[in-house]
Amino acid sequence: MSFLRIDNLHISLGDFYLKDVSFTLEKRDYLIIIGPTGAGKTILLESIVGFWKPQKGSIYLEKVDITNELPEKRNIGIVYQDYVLLPHFTVFDNIAYGLKKKKCCQKESKIREMACMLNIDHLLHRRPDTLSGGEQQRVALARALVVDPKLLLMDEPFSALDPQTGRETRQLLKRVISKSDITVIHISHDLNDAWALANKTAVLREGALLQFGKVDEIFNRPRSAFIANFVGATILHGTAEKNGNGLTSVNIDGVKLASIDSAINGSDVTVAIRPENIIVLKK
Amino acid sequence: MAIASLFVVPSWDDVRHNIWSEEMRFSLKLSLITGITSTILVMLFALPIGYALSRFRFWGKGLVKTVIDMPIAFPELVLGLCLLLLFGSTILRDILASAGINFVFTKKGIVAAQFFTALPYAIRIMKSTFDYINPRLEFVSRSLGYSMFETFKNISLPLAKNGIVASMVISFARCIGTFGTVLILAGGSYMKTEILPITLYLNISYGNMGMALTSGIVLMIVSFLAIFVFEKAEVSL
Repeated sequence: MSFLRIDNLHISLGDFYLKDVSFTLEKRDYLIIIGPTGAGKTILLESIVGFWKPQKGSIYLEKVDITNELPEKRNIGIVYQDYVLLPHFTVFDNIAYGLKKKKCCQKESKIREMACMLNIDHLLHRRPDTLSGGEQQRVALARALVVDPKLLLMDEPFSALDPQTGRETRQLLKRVISKSDITVIHISHDLNDAWALANKTAVLREGALLQFGKVDEIFNRPRSAFIANFVGATILHGTAEKNGNGLTSVNIDGVKLASIDSAINGSDVTVAIRPENIIVLKK
Repeated sequence: MAIASLFVVPSWDDVRHNIWSEEMRFSLKLSLITGITSTILVMLFALPIGYALSRFRFWGKGLVKTVIDMPIAFPELVLGLCLLLLFGSTILRDILASAGINFVFTKKGIVAAQFFTALPYAIRIMKSTFDYINPRLEFVSRSLGYSMFETFKNISLPLAKNGIVASMVISFARCIGTFGTVLILAGGSYMKTEILPITLYLNISYGNMGMALTSGIVLMIVSFLAIFVFEKAEVSL
């Protein structure tokens, strides 16, 4: 039985919707969700955490149906791209906010330990509006992680950061996640996040889950021209031909490319070629 | 110039004399008591209604908003007439009467009239205030283990502080200055249901300009203070 199971999730919120989304995750999986703007990625996260009630479908976490469970009972953390720190609290109080509801001892040492791990221990007395974007994002991460959530959801956590800060925060996140046994779902527009952090990837478009699988599967065996294009492959159009030795040959304006994929002889086909699969040789 | 004339025309000896008169003291006291009572009642309704209109999706929300805003567009006299019919000629009158409550031509009527006049303004300000607060702050609080009520208490309410102050001030100013609705529902009885605008009206009717101008000055000062506090609160919103 999987750690997280989403079954035919269907939700409609005006312009944003999800259509029969299903997938499963195992414990310690790191899923990156990619897709164009308006694909329903944020709604998916907010439905899992319990902010929106699905019209149809179920969500199971550790074999328990949490579809109608209140958000405060789910123990799922969420981090947004705009940090969403509580402006009337200090950094310390922001991190401590979730812990106040937990029955655990040594809360202060836990907060300091987490702050230390994320290099924000020198900022604990500060107000959120006096911090840089990278610092605010690390505070948001600390606040979500300090309560030991079963599942961590992140909505484009690095997109508001400059490239250098984004890279540093990504490395920091990778280190923190590797030390815990947390399962993560992370929305990103940066394909590097998938390679650097994830073991699984999902592609959403117009509320539908187009493909779900291992990272290299999505990148190397995309199921449609849209996915191939979205993950950076070059798209070409040609005609399929049999070449005699069991391979399919695709004729693209006179240039013939061989493929192990099968296609009906004479049919119009689309070919996707990843940049790393093109070998340029000097004359 | 029109505002300034209120302070230039009357004789200040007259104002000093009138402000300590029994009628003015009665009117001022009744205005303050009813104004504060109505403001508290208005806020008790405006906070949850404003929050609900800002945060929840429900069928007929547009219609509810229109109905709530309607009294803003109504002439006060029409609103007063509606309330007089509601509390004086419907089954509600009998239900309230059996509980010992009568709004028609009583001090309670002043509170009811002020309440219904100020409520739409207070709801509008509270809705805008909650619209301005990022709902994701509440989402995060819920995900960290806090119930909807706890989240409202810990997050939404403190962040809405300036909006609440602004809403209270505007409500109080509306309550103190309400004339038409009070006149129709509670009547304009001398030293009975006489609040400041009624004092102004009654004394103008008798030709006692000094007293009328004094009530006008007091009302003006209250309004000025209210707007001043509102502006201060709005700047820091």
